[in-house]
Amino acid sequence: MIRLPKRFERRKDELDEEIRAHIAMDIANRMERGATREEAEAEARREFGNVALVRDVTQGIWRWRRLERLISHLRYALRVLRRSPGFSVTVIATLAVGVGAACAMFTVVDRVLLRAVPFVDANRLVEIGESPKGGAAFRESPFLDIQQWQQRSQALEEVAFFGSNSSKVWFLGGNDNAMHVSSASVSANLFPMLGIHPALGRGFAANDSGGSVAPGDAHAILLSNAAWRTQYGADAAIVGKTVELNGERDTVIGVMPAGFTFPYQGMNATGLPVVWQPIVLTPADAMRGHHQAPTYQCLARLRVDATLASAMAQMNAIQPSVSATYTEVQDRDNAASVNLRRYTDAPVKENLRMTLVALLAASGLLWLIACLNVTSLMLARATSRQREIAVRGALGASRWEIAEQLLMEGLLLSICAAAGGVGLVAAVLKIFQHGLETQFHLHESLTPNLAMVGVLLLLTAVGTLLTSAWPALGAARASIEPALRQNAPQQGTGRAHRRMRSALVVGQIALSLTLLVGCGLLLRTIYALRHVALGFRTEHILVANMTIPSYKFAGRDMTTALYQPLVERVKRLPGVESATLLTEVPLGKTFQMIFTFDASGNSASAIRQRALEAQFRAVGPEMQSVFGFQMLRGRFFTPQDTPASQAVIVVNRAFVRAYYGDDSDPGKIIGQSLIGYGKGRRSVVVGVLADERQVNVADPSQPEMEVCLPQITPTSMFYNAAEGRAMDIAVRTNRSPASMIPELRDILRSASPDLASSTYNTMDRIVEDSFGSQNLAATLLEIFGGSALLLSLSGIYGLLAYLVAQRRREMGLRIALGAQQWNVMSLVLKQATWMLMVGLCAGLAIAYLATAALRTLLYGVKANDPWSMSVAALVMFLGSLVAALVPARRAARVDPIEALRAE
Amino acid sequence: MTKAPSYRNRIELLQGTLDMLILHTLKWGPAHGYGIVQALRTRSGDVLQVETGSLYPALHRLERQGWARSEWNQSEGNQRARYYRITAAGKKQLAADVSRWEQMVDVMGGILNEADGGAA
Repeated sequence: MIRLPKRFERRKDELDEEIRAHIAMDIANRMERGATREEAEAEARREFGNVALVRDVTQGIWRWRRLERLISHLRYALRVLRRSPGFSVTVIATLAVGVGAACAMFTVVDRVLLRAVPFVDANRLVEIGESPKGGAAFRESPFLDIQQWQQRSQALEEVAFFGSNSSKVWFLGGNDNAMHVSSASVSANLFPMLGIHPALGRGFAANDSGGSVAPGDAHAILLSNAAWRTQYGADAAIVGKTVELNGERDTVIGVMPAGFTFPYQGMNATGLPVVWQPIVLTPADAMRGHHQAPTYQCLARLRVDATLASAMAQMNAIQPSVSATYTEVQDRDNAASVNLRRYTDAPVKENLRMTLVALLAASGLLWLIACLNVTSLMLARATSRQREIAVRGALGASRWEIAEQLLMEGLLLSICAAAGGVGLVAAVLKIFQHGLETQFHLHESLTPNLAMVGVLLLLTAVGTLLTSAWPALGAARASIEPALRQNAPQQGTGRAHRRMRSALVVGQIALSLTLLVGCGLLLRTIYALRHVALGFRTEHILVANMTIPSYKFAGRDMTTALYQPLVERVKRLPGVESATLLTEVPLGKTFQMIFTFDASGNSASAIRQRALEAQFRAVGPEMQSVFGFQMLRGRFFTPQDTPASQAVIVVNRAFVRAYYGDDSDPGKIIGQSLIGYGKGRRSVVVGVLADERQVNVADPSQPEMEVCLPQITPTSMFYNAAEGRAMDIAVRTNRSPASMIPELRDILRSASPDLASSTYNTMDRIVEDSFGSQNLAATLLEIFGGSALLLSLSGIYGLLAYLVAQRRREMGLRIALGAQQWNVMSLVLKQATWMLMVGLCAGLAIAYLATAALRTLLYGVKANDPWSMSVAALVMFLGSLVAALVPARRAARVDPIEALRAE
Repeated sequence: MTKAPSYRNRIELLQGTLDMLILHTLKWGPAHGYGIVQALRTRSGDVLQVETGSLYPALHRLERQGWARSEWNQSEGNQRARYYRITAAGKKQLAADVSRWEQMVDVMGGILNEADGGAA
């Protein structure tokens, strides 16, 4: 039990003694003047007045006094709640569901949307990309362009640049084995511009001008805190040591602070620790043109007085003279204008933002429903306690004290619910974990943080007010006399009260229906997505995504030295029907290559072809037997396509459409020579693939071009781009694909220890993940909608059961006078029906407006889909009827004699 | 409630003046509650009777605000009693109270005298 500090008790004793001393001195004084002891005592006490009152008023001055009152309220509240455990548990569980859902969603939103990019003044950081005139493209730029911007733009304080291929895995040497890291190359001025300095050692030394790294630091690297800890055990003397990165020896010059990562999270697809390499200029950087000079991503800091719009206007005033220095017309066109965007806007895609906001709103609705439900329970309880409260009032408790007491009970319930809610938060976040990794590239586990605790406290406080203020004020306002005078249990407590509770139930029905409609829409979306004709088979396929230590194969053909033997061994595994190599499976998200054309000239077809961006894949000839797709025209690759034979490619129908324009015969492209495999080795198109979904299930087929993997040799132009970076093995089995994983892993591990950490996935899973945001939204809305449904049904049940209990005598009388069971039941059901009708109408209206927020998530179904709405309404209706039937039957079975005698 | 006859000639204290009177009394040296009542009664010629229901809250308030400090001590009649002592902050507060009071008396006096003169 709660005790007050000793100091407070001592002070109380002291006050008593002070008063006793006062009276004693008065008595002594009076006796000195000749009064008898009895007279003196009586007179002194009379003059002092009411000792208890003086004590009370004086204690009221102390700070502790208010606390003491609160504590006594708390004590009493604990006793009251313990006395009715059923009520307390119901209220706590209901509120915990609401608070838990809302806080979990907030944690996710906070992490993904709200938490600013953790760089100094991050809102002044902008990315710069070049594009054709008026285009929205965001091309990388060669150093010469960046240098022009550095020298001529007045709106930019600093212009830095970096190169990153976030999907590539690097191998950082350590004491025992190489660690997988990702790597970005950065200019010397980048980290100072971000306002981040190494925690250990120094940053890259800058060249005289332009921000690039001085040649002296060409073989220096910076480690992230994570890489430093994992691979070197946080060795404090790491600075100056030599380490191996992809087989090359580099010197560590510094370690960045913990938590720092660049490119910023959400753009780093692998989630691996990062190491940074320097950008040192080479003779190639002195050239212009996209195939001569390396290109960089550009990040700049706006001056304090510049806005995004003013900087963009100013940059575009400079750009014509920058692009004029390109010799080739096409390069000039491609760099005709400049686009700027805030760095903080980049990480989250628009439809993911919408998903999260919609889910946050849904969790808010659930919380509100929980609060309405609890308010209704609290009202019922305040009614049944009217007597007790009247007695307290009659004994001298002020109205404010009574209200305070009831609020304290509400607060206590809310606090217990908040504690339970935290447990739920952890559970909901676990559901989120997979989605966070695939959708947001967040590879850390989310834990409740300070911001969430703040929201939790806020929800608890507001929840207490919502659920307890009305009943508390109502109870405090109620007059004492009538409540005391009635000797029967409380009869009806007035129309206003019943109406209020009905309104609460109607609100719950309406809000729950909104959630159910949203849930229905997403279930239809998922159904539609699962039934999209993908253009290939997905069942019984296992995919291994390999991380390749390509530096170990320098000078050798990886296809013949590593991949081909590997596939041959995999094919011999029991249960394997076929296996193929390919750079990336359809719908995979780990690696993407886009191929662009350099058609010259200004004809309509040349312009169209320049705009053509094709998905690019290198695949083995067995791909057709693994994925079972159709050829529209021509043939697929065969084992007869070898490095020695004629080089061949296949394209898909979307490619033909984009290349030739609409409605032409797809077969027309066969035999054409579009690209070369290498110097003097032109390829011909031998086949056209039927359309398939490559990137997203919901997106239509995009132009695609496939080259034949066995034909690529280290001298081919795609070799470094394709084979050195990513390679998948896709295996078709006649057993469960997941059961193959251990055997496949053994083969890979024995082929090269560096392949041990390859990842495995079934094709079905990859397809599911490709509509991950819908899946996530559907799962959560199922949970939220289901909880809301249960809450509102319990709300209906609670109110009707209460009304039936109140009207027991009336029911008994009716039955005694000859009413049939059905007549009595219909009394209750009538009440239920009108609440239900009002609730459903309001709910449909809200859903009609609210589901517009889901529009970007939906596929194959409209936001105000009548089917989803009617099914949701039907579910709500049937559920409510069942909930109403129980109290209705109870009313019908009232024993008239017993009910009338109960008086 | 009827008033005891002995109170008839006494005046009610103006709101806020009790604190000032207590501080003023304490300026002559530390005193306990009973002593303060006696002192005020004697100095007002039996007109001022401070109610204990006002006195003790006032003393504790003064202490809480840091204008007075208290300690237990032996009184003349060998009775342990709580003695209050004025602090530096209390003296400052007293000076401020007194000057405001005098200002108030001046203003009130001015208005009332003028009213008398007008009627005459």
